[in-house]
Amino acid sequence: MFLLPLWTDITTTFKSLNDLINTIPVQPPLSPTIEPMITAFNIMERPLLNSLTFTVAATIFSCLLGSINGYALTKIRFRGSNIMFLLFSIGIFLPYQAVLVPLVLTISRLGLYNSLGGLILAHTTYGITITTLLFRNFYGLIPDSLIMAAKTDGAGTWTIYRRIILPLSLLPFVVAAVLQFTSIWNDFLFGVTLARGLEAMPASVALANLKGTTEFNWNVQMAGALWYALPILLIYLGLGKYLIRGYMAGAIKG
Amino acid sequence: MASITIKNLTKKYGKTVAVKDLNLQIEDKEFFVFLGPSGCGKTTTLFAIAGLIKIDSGEIWIGDELVTSAEQGIHKPPHEREISMVFQDYAIYPHMTVFNNIAFPLQIRNTDKHEIEGSVKKTAELLGISQLLDRKPRQLSGGQRQRVALGRAIVRRPKVFLMDEPLANLDAKLRCQTRTELKKLQLELKVTTIYVTHDQVEAMTMADRIMVQKDGVTEQIGTPDELYNHPSNLFVAGFIGSPEMNFMDCTLFEEKKELYLDAKEFRIFLPAKMPSELRSYIGAELIMGIRPEDIYENICAEGTVQENAIRMTIDLIEPVGPYLLLHLKAGRIPLVATVKDTKAKASQEVVMAMDLGKIHIFSKETTKAII
Repeated sequence: MFLLPLWTDITTTFKSLNDLINTIPVQPPLSPTIEPMITAFNIMERPLLNSLTFTVAATIFSCLLGSINGYALTKIRFRGSNIMFLLFSIGIFLPYQAVLVPLVLTISRLGLYNSLGGLILAHTTYGITITTLLFRNFYGLIPDSLIMAAKTDGAGTWTIYRRIILPLSLLPFVVAAVLQFTSIWNDFLFGVTLARGLEAMPASVALANLKGTTEFNWNVQMAGALWYALPILLIYLGLGKYLIRGYMAGAIKG
Repeated sequence: MASITIKNLTKKYGKTVAVKDLNLQIEDKEFFVFLGPSGCGKTTTLFAIAGLIKIDSGEIWIGDELVTSAEQGIHKPPHEREISMVFQDYAIYPHMTVFNNIAFPLQIRNTDKHEIEGSVKKTAELLGISQLLDRKPRQLSGGQRQRVALGRAIVRRPKVFLMDEPLANLDAKLRCQTRTELKKLQLELKVTTIYVTHDQVEAMTMADRIMVQKDGVTEQIGTPDELYNHPSNLFVAGFIGSPEMNFMDCTLFEEKKELYLDAKEFRIFLPAKMPSELRSYIGAELIMGIRPEDIYENICAEGTVQENAIRMTIDLIEPVGPYLLLHLKAGRIPLVATVKDTKAKASQEVVMAMDLGKIHIFSKETTKAII
């Protein structure tokens, strides 16, 4: 039942305009065609590329920063670290709409409006909150004695991070990356407000634009949706194994 | 190789005082044990020496180098102290092979690759783990992991070994075995060692000297023999020794120039050779202590006279193997005695005698030992 939308999307994608009228949505196409796929791709090529660029970049940055934050919050005890963590946690619950106006103002003051850089910055900043929480919880499971041992062995703060913490972080990295990739890729609001032209337009916005005002080319829209869903599908298929292990990481000791 | 000097060390966590005004001198090549129940400040002291925590006041010297001084604001990071540490949970790096674990302290110091390989192999040989070098920690048993942690500690030949209950996670049999090996290793490497434990058997068997701590305060520092035979207070007397020393309330009184201890249920005649300062405690409330092995079944103990024969009832006999554990009652006072053999049965009345050369008397008020 939950596969029905995907099924409908696929069937509709490969239908010509005639089939579209002559069949019901769940029916397979009578004469399959990849025409809509190509049409949709031509329209969405640049936005897809944009999305891929800033999603990958923001995912990497937010995961890396979240990991460093998590390490600092759990293993380097500094004054105010609890308050810092509290602020990060509050950040998770800030609705996108609430920060929209200051976000647009800040990004445009920085000269990053309508650029991939602006989107990367916005998504990284917004993502750090959740990745920090994730990494902090995972690093809480790494025994402190490991850090103390490394210290007495002669490692400094960064060496400990690089040689001990980072190699142990595969699971949280996978979880955080999938989480971030999905939410950044799926984001519409930041994309529609921070990008105006084609040069920075995310695929989510381009997909919405496919809808048109007078025409209703269902097949092209569905093809666009398929293109749009493809990266996420691939990620889940590829990393599913790690993802499940990562979600269960609480039960496994570092 | 270095001695360690601690002067007036105090460490607080919030309002709790973890270590209070500790003064200590550990000699070069000494095997020194911090002993005490959990929460007594022994690990805190160890971490302070390692430089893993900052202290509130006092000084720590390793050799002739001042490594920590709260007053002068000196706090050398752990890696500048030439110490190495073994942790209770071993703290070996789970993602590295045994080789890399042992090599880690050398790699960090950018030691030459061939030299690293040589040192690691030599260390592994010494610990009998040469065949494990390619394995990951999760493929090792508890005892093997413990050796890897030890290997990592000794590979760079530090001035001081710090060990935080390294045997606590091993099973009983392996613990005994490793204990002996560890002691042998220390004698071989001749490195000053500080060993933290709450297990008095470990402390007694391994230590050159022991410091007993309780609630952050040093109770006594001495050789195992001194602690066992001449405990300086009630806590040390009770903490060291298994089965525990017997304690009973008593008072001292004089009759016809002779001294007697009155424990209400029985009285004990004290021989004339007892120190004369004991007389100043006449009438004071005291606690008498006697170790289970110093209570005999027959009247053959040194200094025993007819009056010191005490009638007791046997509550229970526990055969331990090398000896029998007698749970006795002298009136309402419970006592435990260890005897080689007995013909008596439970609930039978027996005549027991105490070795008066081995009794301990403590002041009830100060808990300090009088004799």
